[in-house]
Amino acid sequence: MKCILVVLSIQDGKIKRSSLEALTRAATIGEATSSPVHAVIMHSSAASFAAEAGSYGADTVFCLSDRIFDAHVNTPVLAGLTTVINQVDPKLIVAASTESIKDIAGALAIRIDAATLPDVASFDMVDGTVTCERPVMAAKMMAKTTSAHSRVLVTLRSGSYEAKASSGAGKMVEVPFEWDTNLLSATLKEIISTTGNTVDLSEAKVVVAAGRGVKDASGKALVDELASITGAAIGASRAVVETGLFPATAQIGQTGKVVSPDLYFAIGISGAIQHVAGMSNSRVIVAINKDADAPIFDVATYGLVGDCFKILPLLNDALRKALA
Amino acid sequence: MKFCVCIKQVPDVQASVQTGRMVLNAYDASAVEQALVINENGTDEIDLILIGPASATETIRKALAMGASNATHIVMENVADLDSSAIAHLLAESLKGSNYDAILTGKQSQDSDSGLAGGMLAELLGIPYATNAVGMEATADGLLVTRQGDTGQEMLVLKAPCLVTCSNDMNNPRIPSLKGIMGAKRTTINTVQAGPVGTPKTKVEKTFPPAGRAPGLKMEGEPEELVAQLITKLQQEAGAI
Ligand SMILES: Cc1cc2nc3c(=O)[nH]c(=O)nc-3n(C[C@H](O)[C@H](O)[C@H](O)COP(=O)(O)OP(=O)(O)OC[C@H]3O[C@@H](n4cnc5c(N)ncnc54)[C@H](O)[C@@H]3O)c2cc1C
Repeated sequence: MKCILVVLSIQDGKIKRSSLEALTRAATIGEATSSPVHAVIMHSSAASFAAEAGSYGADTVFCLSDRIFDAHVNTPVLAGLTTVINQVDPKLIVAASTESIKDIAGALAIRIDAATLPDVASFDMVDGTVTCERPVMAAKMMAKTTSAHSRVLVTLRSGSYEAKASSGAGKMVEVPFEWDTNLLSATLKEIISTTGNTVDLSEAKVVVAAGRGVKDASGKALVDELASITGAAIGASRAVVETGLFPATAQIGQTGKVVSPDLYFAIGISGAIQHVAGMSNSRVIVAINKDADAPIFDVATYGLVGDCFKILPLLNDALRKALA
Repeated sequence: MKFCVCIKQVPDVQASVQTGRMVLNAYDASAVEQALVINENGTDEIDLILIGPASATETIRKALAMGASNATHIVMENVADLDSSAIAHLLAESLKGSNYDAILTGKQSQDSDSGLAGGMLAELLGIPYATNAVGMEATADGLLVTRQGDTGQEMLVLKAPCLVTCSNDMNNPRIPSLKGIMGAKRTTINTVQAGPVGTPKTKVEKTFPPAGRAPGLKMEGEPEELVAQLITKLQQEAGAI
């Protein structure tokens, strides 16, 4: 039986939760189809994450250790993955749909002759056919897409499945990897900015997102305060990324990130479909908007019609008390 | 720099699905815009390439009107049946042996949101690439690209020939001038029939509206009341705090 290979991403010294979600889903499918499930980790200290990967259901954890993987550059990542894929010959390759994975998915698919189902919300494998549901048209529609190709690459939206540790303990295999930096046709010059978010936006339990209604630095201060009280990561609409009030890394939506927190605050956001595409899977959505007809109220669990400059100071006080 | 920008005609996702209004993919418009900005003071021309039905000519004219010089239209009526890989192979076939400094694409299509064709094309052509670019400048022998990564922005140096997929966060595409529109009408578009494409590796079985969210509660009133109600709801009903 051909195996399933899960590509795990390491960020801030740990395996990304979305990668563990992908691994958990792969383990479920592996069990149902009696396919072995393997994982691959590429990082300067890849081996240190192997035990955790094993506990989430990987039978074998392939580790490629090289510092070149820590700063994301696509050429070595492609070379490393191709090495492992040629070695284990998987039927199905699964990865969390991060920017780093999106960066290599197309090129990898050509190099290893895989059909690709990108950015899926759910997937399964039955009798060698991989099926998925993926949002299209700025998530206005879902497309049920299938592939019966001999090899399929699936990238999975974060929050689509729950990550569950099992009792398994995987075997670790170190894969030798030599990288000649002279081979780099694209070189990383500099990593310029980060969000300043202490919580990873795409995996946060609570997200506070700001839109044009937040206006200026005084509005941003209220949003920052709400985020710090609730332990939230800060997100933003395109409008306030464009004005420079919030960093591009905070953008949520079709161009930006997809989030699915337990609690999402949309502050002064109109709810354009391209924004909603990135947040409509949040469990509870609280919207504050002074326009009672704003489309954000169509997706909000609780909609507060009013001025965020008046509501936020009161809400921050009340939440501080409620959470004390 | 000698640019070739790959563009696509997509349904207007802003309108309701039924209108059938077709537009230039927003991400591709940003790619065209950035090529124009980089070549502002030069004489190098910007070429376009589009795969699509005969009716997609209007989208090509739109990008020509922005300021691109030449266009190739690979005519393919049922383009919606093709997957990213088939598109990339057709583009690669057409671009093989060309001598562009850089090939640009949008980072994804507004309709399928796949984001694969650019990376696939770069791999087929064997050239370095960067995706999700939010900034791009010319260097002596290539491009300096700023891309949006997971936790920050990454600055990459690419040697020409190279490929870059562009985000709409890169710029605001210009509105074509009247002069541009008139000029675009006179441009001869190089029309070719699409060669054979293999069986697509993926198949869209059906599309359907997403489940949708349970109706929520919209509250109006004095800020104090709204906040008190919300806290109660979050604690007692939603269990969110
Ligand atoms: C291809 C494409 C991709 C896109 N991708 C994204 C994306 O990833 N993410 C994204 O967000 N957008 C995206 N957009 C842009 C999107 O269409 C909207 O333009 C954008 O989301 C609007 O941001 P906004 O809601 O903050 O601003 P606006 O639409 O201007 O809304 C501001 C809202 O604030 C309210 N408001 C104003 N003052 C107050 C106040 N004092 N108190 C309370 N409420 C107030 C107003 O009533 C209004 O509803 C994309 C667009 C395109 C074409």
